[in-house]
Amino acid sequence: MPSVQPASGTLDTPAPAPPPVRTGATEAPRIVPRRRTGQWVAAALVLALLALAATSVVRNDAFQWDVVAGYFLTTAVLRGLGLTLWLTALVMVLGFALGTLLAAMRLSANPVLRSVAWGYVWLFRSMPILVQLLFWFNIGALYPHILGIKTVNLLGPLTVALIGLTLHEAAYAAEVVRGGILSVDRGQLEAAQSLGLSRWRRGLRIVLPQAMRSIVPPAGNMLIGTLKGTSIVSVIAVQDLLYSVQLVYHRTYQVIPLLLVATLWYVLITSLLSVGQHYLERHYARGAERTR
Amino acid sequence: MTAMVDIRSVTKSFGPVEVLRGIDLTVRTGEVTVVLGPSGSGKSTLLRTINHLEKVDSGQVSVDGALVGYRRSGNRLYELREREILKQRTHIGFVFQNFHLFPHLTVLENITEAPVSALKRSRKDAEATARRLLERVGLADKADAYPKQLSGGQQQRVAIARALALEPKLLLFDEPTSALDPELVGEVLDVIKDLAHQGTTMIVVTHEIGFAREVADTVVFMDEGRVVEQGPPSQVLDAPRHERTKSFLSKVL
Repeated sequence: MPSVQPASGTLDTPAPAPPPVRTGATEAPRIVPRRRTGQWVAAALVLALLALAATSVVRNDAFQWDVVAGYFLTTAVLRGLGLTLWLTALVMVLGFALGTLLAAMRLSANPVLRSVAWGYVWLFRSMPILVQLLFWFNIGALYPHILGIKTVNLLGPLTVALIGLTLHEAAYAAEVVRGGILSVDRGQLEAAQSLGLSRWRRGLRIVLPQAMRSIVPPAGNMLIGTLKGTSIVSVIAVQDLLYSVQLVYHRTYQVIPLLLVATLWYVLITSLLSVGQHYLERHYARGAERTR
Repeated sequence: MTAMVDIRSVTKSFGPVEVLRGIDLTVRTGEVTVVLGPSGSGKSTLLRTINHLEKVDSGQVSVDGALVGYRRSGNRLYELREREILKQRTHIGFVFQNFHLFPHLTVLENITEAPVSALKRSRKDAEATARRLLERVGLADKADAYPKQLSGGQQQRVAIARALALEPKLLLFDEPTSALDPELVGEVLDVIKDLAHQGTTMIVVTHEIGFAREVADTVVFMDEGRVVEQGPPSQVLDAPRHERTKSFLSKVL
């Protein structure tokens, strides 16, 4: 086997090292990284494609960026955005509250509670959210009156949207919370029991904070999904962000620029939420690493 | 001396496996009992029945004169409410093989959690006690560290301080040094020895024969869910009567 350097000797015979070859300098040899030509080519190619796409967007007047700018902060759009935001928040809070309850039922010792929770998740995960919304929208056909009030009057489009989205959200939230709770080592619960901590204290102080580490990333995913997913309520004429811009373009036929208005708002809010998620994850990672 | 722990005819099965087959054991107040035995002999399960982490199938366990987990009425044992069981557990400290410190709480919070929430002590008092206990286990400077920042030996010493914070009448150790690197075993055993010399009543399940010889008042040898032999270390460790004890000791010594 040829040796790479005269000074290193061969690999398989432990021969005494020959005197080092003098190269003029006494310092250790410098390390030269391998050339990565392929990486440079790939990067250049991708940048070129991006530039091409960017110029086509800028040059194509049909995007009508001036119209986008003109509508971006109009009252109608902001009102739609407002509705989207609080609908998202409400669905998320109610969905996770119901989901946590379902997860607790699913993990309980009571076989009836366990089965009911399983059945709920099975049913609401099986139904497309659009189908469910339309179903709730037409619930009056099944129950014309609820508590003596006409169903149509009791359940307006917004209430229907809230119910449908929350029930759907809860099914997924239940699985996320259950996964989080299961990720906590069983020994934690035993230690808490041996110290005499009450059931509530064990759940809220010991298990849930540790479960949050596994819950936050998928919950953040769900929040972002829900933010955009609320746009589905436009089919039952709830004036969210999407429906608000649709109302405008049905009037003015400026379809693309107004869809861009909605898109930009969704992107903006999603970006803010991602930043929030980062800090939340850092908070719940307390004590998880050797270094703080 | 009076009996701190009184175990009578306790049996326990996990499915078809009989883990405890009629255990009788008495531990006197102020004494140290070391339980030895091969893995699967039931020694950890026995320890866990003493604070009702494991429910017995038959027989009964008493600590300081009170039945653990049950109330006797006539010839029936009624299981206690959870709150009453939790109260009993605050009198019985338990130290786990894998420490089970709460990783999201600091060392100080780990120790003060139970005194504050289960015994309703004031936070100030609980913290003062916790700092005193940390000093006692040689970790006064680690109060604000998180468990993962400590070595295994340090974590186990914190776990001991956490158990002591409830001022238990009885301390149970479930293989407290088995999860430690060899060079860290000594520091944990030193803390336990220190407690023994101060007259703490404890039951220690362990494989450390040297520790048993030095500290134990009584050594109990278990095998296949039964107590095979018990007595002072000089008898059980140096002049065992039963073949199984002899063969076990010849393997571990």
